[in-house]
Amino acid sequence: MPAPCESALPTLRDILARVHLRLILFAVILATASLLVSGALVIRNYSQRNLDLLAHTIGYTVEPALVFGDDQAVREGMIKVGGVVGIDHIEVFDPAGRLVADWHRGHTGMPQWLAHRANAVIWPHPSVDRIERGGTAIGEVRVFGNSGGLVRYAISGAIIALCCLALTVIATRILARRLQQDVIEPLGAVGTVAHMVRSERAFGRRVPPSGIAEIDHFAQDFNALLSELEGWHAGLTSENAELARLATHDPLTGLGNRALFERMVGEAIGQAVRSGASFAVLFLDVDGFKAINDQHGHDAGDAALREVAERLRASVRHVDSAFRMGGDEFAVLLGPLFNRAHVDAVIERIELAMGQPLLIPGFGDASLGLSIGVALYPDDGVSPQDLLRRADAKMYKHKHDRRTNFEGGMNDA
Amino acid sequence: MPLRPLHAALPLALLAAPLLANDAGGGAGDAAGGDRYAGAVARTVTALIEYSTWPSRPNPLTLCVAGAVSHAGQIEELRLSDGRKAVRRNVAPSAAALGECEVLYLGNMGQPAMRQLVAAVRGKGVLTIAEADPDCRSDAMVCLIYLPAGLSFQLNIDAVARSGLRLDPRVLRMARGGS
Repeated sequence: MPAPCESALPTLRDILARVHLRLILFAVILATASLLVSGALVIRNYSQRNLDLLAHTIGYTVEPALVFGDDQAVREGMIKVGGVVGIDHIEVFDPAGRLVADWHRGHTGMPQWLAHRANAVIWPHPSVDRIERGGTAIGEVRVFGNSGGLVRYAISGAIIALCCLALTVIATRILARRLQQDVIEPLGAVGTVAHMVRSERAFGRRVPPSGIAEIDHFAQDFNALLSELEGWHAGLTSENAELARLATHDPLTGLGNRALFERMVGEAIGQAVRSGASFAVLFLDVDGFKAINDQHGHDAGDAALREVAERLRASVRHVDSAFRMGGDEFAVLLGPLFNRAHVDAVIERIELAMGQPLLIPGFGDASLGLSIGVALYPDDGVSPQDLLRRADAKMYKHKHDRRTNFEGGMNDA
Repeated sequence: MPLRPLHAALPLALLAAPLLANDAGGGAGDAAGGDRYAGAVARTVTALIEYSTWPSRPNPLTLCVAGAVSHAGQIEELRLSDGRKAVRRNVAPSAAALGECEVLYLGNMGQPAMRQLVAAVRGKGVLTIAEADPDCRSDAMVCLIYLPAGLSFQLNIDAVARSGLRLDPRVLRMARGGS
């Protein structure tokens, strides 16, 4: 099951996108958190000082009113000074602990429970100012901070952070796409070429330059490797073709050998069975070859065989093919035929060609005869063995007849 | 002279600081014999002295009481929070008797007499308190007002400005409707 396993592997783009996303998320969260925390601490610090200052100011302001015992004046002075943003409520006590005046901020724009919770967390203790006169305490001011500003700061900070995160995700996508274009596409081009080479043997393909140093080096090496592979492949192919040709051809004459002939006959039978056409097999034997060989040597014999092969090749049609079966025996496979007359025409052309005197370089003229046996498919047999045997027999009969005729002629002369 | 009405109208309109002397009711059966304001008056006078600044910072202060008083029963020797004292001295309601006074507590007397006494100490650094001038027509700096809920007082800014004393601005600001 390699396919699902392969598809389950993450792509380079995915990995890069994920790494980027994590990196930027980490950075944004870290920056946001540190900014929020430090900002909140600074704001709270200043607010604390503000509360202390306010408590002191309120204490100073309401001191005469406390001395005169004017609760109303205490209340008014307290509100005039302390009724500002950032204060949740103010209480003024006299030395006996009686609540002289208090003031509460009304609606803060936040849910009540949230405001209470936040106030309890951020301002657990009020700012306290003891009002003294001549060394005796005459009252106490308690100022409770309002966390609304801080909470709003935190909320707006969180919203900004979320917006940043959204931007981050978009930026990561864009970055990943960029990376894909710049890095992964060149790599993909290498992969495509490698795949083409492997599946289609397209050794001529080359990886285009990418514009990235590392990938370009890689692509150059890859292209060089491809060139070497192409060379090896071409050499192997031609060697293979040469070997195949050697295995099926006669090195002396360049004609097909017996093995090729038998294979071709088999194929011709298959084709004839499918198409219903007929074909013919000729067996040829060179008369007098032995005499040339004996009189003029093997070189002359070889030259004679080459000449015979050449004439045979020239005499048959382009749909026919000639073979050297071994020694001085040749064969011709005649392609699809309509009637016997075609066969006779070919035989006539062959005999005409062989009737010309043979000029053997270095040895002079020689004359050769040819015995021909014909077997027709399907009249003389439907199996290769039958056809070959039949053709062979006819050839020998022909040879015998010719010899008899020749001797008879001699006798007549 | 055309400025005068405006000038005179200003202080009267300005300050009316009610002093809610809550403990005054509790002290109804005190030494003054059923005077429910005596304690509050003593406390208010003390506080006024404390929030006033004399150029020479005298110690002890002389608190002159002139005329027929009905709520000064607890004003004898007042102890200030900074440790100083104010000592009561009953004086005759005449300008000649006011030479050593730092505080002048005016009891019940006719408006002209009060004006005369106040005019005599104007600019000399004397804190003038009128016990029985609720409309504050006597030109005294402080006029006590007796409300059912307790003691209150009114400040005459004009008189304060001409007194030669410095009164704590917080006390000035305590007046309802003030600046």
